Amino acid sequence: MVRFKNRYVLCEVVSEDPRCRQCIEDRAVGLAVRDAIGRVHGDFGLACCSISFTVKYLNAYTGTVLLRCRKDSYRLLCSALPFVRQLESRNQRYPCFLNTLHVGGTIRTCQKFLIEYNRRQLLMLLQSCTNEDERRCVQKSLLSCSLTEEQCLSGNEDDDD
Amino acid sequence: AASFERRVLRSAGEHHYLRVRLELPDGGARPNVAQFKQLVVSALKELHGEVGAALPVDVLTYEEKTLSAILRVVSSGLVKLWSALTLLGFYQNRRCAFRVLQTSPFLLALAGNSRELVL
Repeated sequence: MVRFKNRYVLCEVVSEDPRCRQCIEDRAVGLAVRDAIGRVHGDFGLACCSISFTVKYLNAYTGTVLLRCRKDSYRLLCSALPFVRQLESRNQRYPCFLNTLHVGGTIRTCQKFLIEYNRRQLLMLLQSCTNEDERRCVQKSLLSCSLTEEQCLSGNEDDDD
Repeated sequence: AASFERRVLRSAGEHHYLRVRLELPDGGARPNVAQFKQLVVSALKELHGEVGAALPVDVLTYEEKTLSAILRVVSSGLVKLWSALTLLGFYQNRRCAFRVLQTSPFLLALAGNSRELVL
């Protein structure tokens, strides 16, 4: 069968400025990534990657961004992500960078990866807790997301290639 | 009976050579060799961005009178260079066009041109 294959790139927005979180919106991130692709790969790269380009999911609290593009141009997109240096929205710009976490063929594989990644991040946060309140909060979230025995039996899903 | 093994190497060498001519129909000052290379690099930058502009392109010869040059480019960058030259339309706000006369992975092949053969 002939169908359009996509690649979903999962990244994390990292910034030293805490005010950058309010700037993380889909339009701002989309524009910043498009602008970086235009600078690095020119008109041809910009047009190639824009064919099926959207910001599929965004989480401003954790800074997680899920981008979609065509399978033929995902390498252009991934190579241009390190050149995103600032996010701009409502006439305010904040320096930041994008960390690529995972590239998957479907949203489902990226979601599975993100769940595992967040679990590991919670464990690391627990180790770096500074006071008792934080420790109790993180421990509560960890307990609520750990698998019990019944939940361990999850079936295999067909993945896109 | 002896058995033979035939090996065919399809690698065409690491560089490709292009003989090009710049056409400036509206006349005016002719670019010198540095401006010519700047033009080629800016064409690459427009179409292929920073990655294209960083492609190792060399101007081996340049004749200011006829505005023709021999360019050398890494083989993997031939498509990028040729497409950038094709789509370049303006030089200093004057219309211009690049004509690619000959191309070959071997520099010696550019010496003979059967189009200009006088019989």
